[in-house]
Amino acid sequence: MKRNLYTLLSLAVLASMVLAACGGGAAAPTFTGTATITFVQEPDSLSPLYTTMWFSGITRDFWLKGMWSFDENNQPVPELATEIPTSENGGISADGKTITYKLRDDVTWSDGEPLTADDFVFTYDMIMSDKNVVQSRYPYEDYITSVTATDEHTVTVAFSEPFAAWLTTIFTYVLPKHVLQPVFDAEGTLDNAAWNKAPTVGIGPFAFSEWESGSHVIFKGNANWVKPAKLEQVFIRIVPDDAAQEAAIIAGDTDIGVFLSSDQIAKLEEGGAVDVVAVSSGYDEGWFLNVNPDTAHPAMLDVNVRKAIALATDRFTIVNDLLVAEVNPVNVTFWDATSPYGNPDLEPYPYDPEEAKRLLDEAGWVDSNGDGTRDKDGVELVLRYITNTRELRKNVQAVVQQQWSLVGIGADLQNHSSDVYWNGYNDGGPQAQGLYDIAEYSSVGSFPDPEASANWLCSEISSADNPDGANWQGVCIEELDALLQQQAVTLDLDARVVLYHQIAQLMYDEVLYVGIWKDPDLWSVNSRLQGVKLSGASPFWNAHEWTAPAPAE
Amino acid sequence: MTTYILRRLGQAVPQLFIISIILFALMQSFGDPVATLGARTPPKPEDKERLRRMLGLDQPVYVQYLTWLVGNDWQKLDMDGDGVPETPGPRKGILRGDFGNSLVTRRPVLEMIGDRLPNTLLLMITAEIVIIGLSLAIGLYSALRPYSFFDNFVTGLSFVGFSMPVFWLALSLMYLFAVNFRRWGLPYLPTVGMFDPQVGKTPWELIKHMVLPVTTLAIISIAGYSRFVRASVLEVLGQDYVRTARAKGVRAMAVVWQHALPNAALPFITLIGLDIPFLLAGAVVTERIFAWPGTGRLFLDHTERADFPMLMGILMFIALAVVVFQIITDVVYSLVDPRIRLN
Repeated sequence: MKRNLYTLLSLAVLASMVLAACGGGAAAPTFTGTATITFVQEPDSLSPLYTTMWFSGITRDFWLKGMWSFDENNQPVPELATEIPTSENGGISADGKTITYKLRDDVTWSDGEPLTADDFVFTYDMIMSDKNVVQSRYPYEDYITSVTATDEHTVTVAFSEPFAAWLTTIFTYVLPKHVLQPVFDAEGTLDNAAWNKAPTVGIGPFAFSEWESGSHVIFKGNANWVKPAKLEQVFIRIVPDDAAQEAAIIAGDTDIGVFLSSDQIAKLEEGGAVDVVAVSSGYDEGWFLNVNPDTAHPAMLDVNVRKAIALATDRFTIVNDLLVAEVNPVNVTFWDATSPYGNPDLEPYPYDPEEAKRLLDEAGWVDSNGDGTRDKDGVELVLRYITNTRELRKNVQAVVQQQWSLVGIGADLQNHSSDVYWNGYNDGGPQAQGLYDIAEYSSVGSFPDPEASANWLCSEISSADNPDGANWQGVCIEELDALLQQQAVTLDLDARVVLYHQIAQLMYDEVLYVGIWKDPDLWSVNSRLQGVKLSGASPFWNAHEWTAPAPAE
Repeated sequence: MTTYILRRLGQAVPQLFIISIILFALMQSFGDPVATLGARTPPKPEDKERLRRMLGLDQPVYVQYLTWLVGNDWQKLDMDGDGVPETPGPRKGILRGDFGNSLVTRRPVLEMIGDRLPNTLLLMITAEIVIIGLSLAIGLYSALRPYSFFDNFVTGLSFVGFSMPVFWLALSLMYLFAVNFRRWGLPYLPTVGMFDPQVGKTPWELIKHMVLPVTTLAIISIAGYSRFVRASVLEVLGQDYVRTARAKGVRAMAVVWQHALPNAALPFITLIGLDIPFLLAGAVVTERIFAWPGTGRLFLDHTERADFPMLMGILMFIALAVVVFQIITDVVYSLVDPRIRLN
């Protein structure tokens, strides 16, 4: 009898615990604490239709999730989709031209409306509509033929040809049809929708609360999200001045800062509360060598001269003297920071001025007139080395000019303001028009996807006839062209990695790209904020796990 | 008086018109707004071309100016790029009160200026009050005791204040009072922004966040203003009517307050009158460093982006304010100084 009583009592206790647990689960989650983040640039808009700015895109990890995020190892983590489509799970068709996305049936918009496949169809329609002055139609315009809602929770995307970069470029966001369709119907465009500035309905661990222009953006914990946040709010403050951002980080007025430079690391970490984390978002600083016979210096057409240029440049000393070598080591290929596509077998071109001299002599570039610069057939070996007006790059130019002079290569240093530097052929862009021999900048593909093949395709060479061409180096190598075209339609990851390693090897042998330094983003994270795992592709992907102490009463 | 004001306003119309043409021409050398749209991810060439067409940037400069001035809502535009105009133009033009939309944020220019103006006015008016009050006090005191220790000391300090670069002063104050004071365990001020998100937007937060930017602005300007007050008071004190007043036995303080100061204030009023429009323009460097969301930063940010509708909006707004406040200054002048007649 007594034993029965005990059993009964234990059962009663157990039952009450289970009930309590269920009750807790059903109740609204409680949010505590604030994460303060500083942005040095203010997003132009919060609507993904109207800006491709990085600082706008990264806020979407809080309030507007796409099909998936990328974790700290840049591996996809499903958000709105139940799984990543593969050929095995039937998500990718045999011909690679159809991708089927299965949506979760338990996610709702922050206002409680269910997410459906129609939202994705609407998003595609809005991107492609001539009524909306959207910032970018890539890749929807060139690669996608249709987006259909097969059923309430299935989206089917049809491509004109297999499109390898689909994982990182398609449906990285979705628009709330139930909010925006009425606006579009009434105004004929979404250009002036209030949602662009105040997207009160979103889909993520936080929901938009307010945006005061020039000051701050606030996102509050969203109880309607499947992975509820722990924080009460995320406060993004716009601090345009780098030195002021540094002061705010040191003073503890901000928990997360970004776009820091490596010379700030020691100062920021001095107090012990701040950790500076290097997270690559794929950007590497490098040289793009002009090999276009119509525009380049004649010496640039000789691969041995190009190799001599690389060997004559001591990039190891440059990263030591001008940067922090541990954070910014010399990189080899364009894809070093886009793992696993960079070829691990390749080593940076060494610094070997003697070999450089030998190669130049062999190529017939010798100093015949004794002016200190090599020449051939009356043409001096003076190369146009261009970049934008960033101070660090100007310093690198000066050091390189001095290093080259030791082997008899002259440097004509030119700097363009960023808007001119990136201009297209018809707008007199110096790169697009080939008015250079070596162009320096930091670039990336569709990170974490490596796709950037237009830069080296024969068909993309920019010219008066092809002013939109993205190949500003005039590269046209049959084997490279074939490999680039093949990778663009190869959906199998392993096969694509092999292709990229071949591409990197070929570009290395042809000396089309010379890596200067790895250029990861430097973030500061205050230890007040816990659980932060930054990712290069979607930095705040685990914001729902962040915790911060509640403010003192 | 009314005729005078009306005549001056009438003159202002062609003045503003010419200013707008000159400014619009200058904007053309600012660079390509479309090129900077993606910041670190520059737009793709085909997107650039489409955006230029849709935003009307492919039109000749005079067409863009006319659209800005009188709008394009009677025209049809080619939005789909097939060469056939089909979509009615959305602009009404500045003459009908439409300042246009920013090219980078796509929001109405007037709305964006309206967002920032209260913040700028709050900062600038507070700073101006501090500046006027302190420079009057310092200038007057110096003038009454010329070449005394205080005068020499303040003169020296003015030169230091006057020659300090704003960004350096602002950052130094920030590091001293916000970073180091906190480190040393002393009462400290916040670094940037208008309030602490963990506390919220309270008046006390706002005051704390205003101390450093206001101090920065004050230090820079008090230097010049107090010298100005000192010089004009000294000049007036040397005038015959002051000597006469003193000879009549008027008390020293009464001479200063009733005779010297009102006369010395005239040029000071001119100075302030000319300053007020620029209060609307905000303090570019101070706002940037203290992350104060004012019009100065708005102007700076959009200059870097070559966002001409935004820049034209702000500049025309300031030009209008300059014209209006010049008229007001002249009117105040006539009220303060009975010798001046406007008609």
